[in-house]
Amino acid sequence: MVEVEHASDANLVVAVGRWHQQALAEIYRRHGGAVHALARRILRSDPPAEEITQEVFLDLWKNPEKFDAQRGTLRSFLLARTHGKSVDFVRSEVSRRKREERTSRETATAGYDIDHEVWDMAVAGQVQEALVALPDELRHPIELAYFGGHTYKEVAVMLEQPEGTVKSRIRSGLVKLRANLTERGVEPAGGER
Amino acid sequence: MSAPIPERSHAEIQELLGAYALDAVDKETAALVEQHLAGCVRCSVEVSQHHEVAGLLANSGGASPASLWDGIASQLDSSTPPSWEGLAERLETGGDRVVDPTDAVVVPITARTRRGRWARRAGAVVGAAAAVLALVLGLQVHHLNNQVTALQSHPSLSAAEQAALREPSTMVVPLRATAGAAPSPTRAVTVVLTRSGTGFVEAGGLSALPRDRTYQLWGVIGGQTISLGLLGPSPGVVPFSVAGDVAVNAFAITAEHGGGVVHSSNQPVVSGQVTA
Repeated sequence: MVEVEHASDANLVVAVGRWHQQALAEIYRRHGGAVHALARRILRSDPPAEEITQEVFLDLWKNPEKFDAQRGTLRSFLLARTHGKSVDFVRSEVSRRKREERTSRETATAGYDIDHEVWDMAVAGQVQEALVALPDELRHPIELAYFGGHTYKEVAVMLEQPEGTVKSRIRSGLVKLRANLTERGVEPAGGER
Repeated sequence: MSAPIPERSHAEIQELLGAYALDAVDKETAALVEQHLAGCVRCSVEVSQHHEVAGLLANSGGASPASLWDGIASQLDSSTPPSWEGLAERLETGGDRVVDPTDAVVVPITARTRRGRWARRAGAVVGAAAAVLALVLGLQVHHLNNQVTALQSHPSLSAAEQAALREPSTMVVPLRATAGAAPSPTRAVTVVLTRSGTGFVEAGGLSALPRDRTYQLWGVIGGQTISLGLLGPSPGVVPFSVAGDVAVNAFAITAEHGGGVVHSSNQPVVSGQVTA
């Protein structure tokens, strides 16, 4: 039997399906840091980020079949779940008021300095390069939507642009970013059939 | 009551895919996109690609906080799939039984033969001859990855039945229809398990499923329900294997979507308890 530390992510998920806790522990060891970091970045607070991190891994434990290896990597799956949960949280009524207040303050004092947050990330150099290579009009909507947890309609208001323009720029920005990453030798997985 | 949501064209949905992948749409729009994705491979692929790119942006590469794992691990023991929760217990304790234990007593093959019951079953019940055993022993059926369907048509399988039937230790476990389960089987389904861990399920009695669905065989082992293999939509004789030192307490078969599942939320179509 292959030991968990040498098993592929997909095989670990299969093992999780057989209720092997060691497999889930190994998945957590590989991806827990990224999951927690993303939740913390979006939520800007430790307690809810920790709660969401736990939820994401417990969800995988309970419903491993939701991961489809043909659709992408386990990490992107976990991060997408993390992002969705984090965004749900920040959009909840409880947190909305505080967040709007904080956003308003940040926007006023620092022009909503998402750039700074992105640069704070210890992401690979190629990813940083690919991101910064994007024109501002494509990069800003992505940052505000992804790291800020805003809807594209909210982003449109923030950037004072038409909703349709923002919607299109998010999409074309992601496509361009993928191409930039590929040029730099980073091959995002996902979706090929 | 909210106003009905207008349908959107493929092109309109496509324009939303980036925002959708970043969770930057409201719930109603997300539902519309998901409805479209269910029937559009091209758009599904694009969303997956956007998720991968977003994942790279998010990837901080930091160490996983050890303290959080303790919190996760402490909640794992009680986390079992709801539909299967208690199945093993019910089968083992007799309370709220899924099957009647008298319907699923393991009887040595030789005893069945003496009673003449085997003669009626011989054409259908499965077994394993040395040649096929060698083939099947190499097949550790790992639920979603197995290729058991291909083995169903193995030319030696029919002859192989007889060899296993001659092994006194071979067990036969009849699987009976679960009350209210659908689709109901047309006749008995039987699991044969040799001491070595090689087994076959004679599933010809299961009603045929649509081509995009499959039957899936499960074993209750040590209180856990584990997938033993996909049987296909219209199974006949299907081999499987378990580790020789593993005691299977019960078997069950569910109907699932074509790729099978890791945990089933469906009621078993048939099930049977192994009684020593």
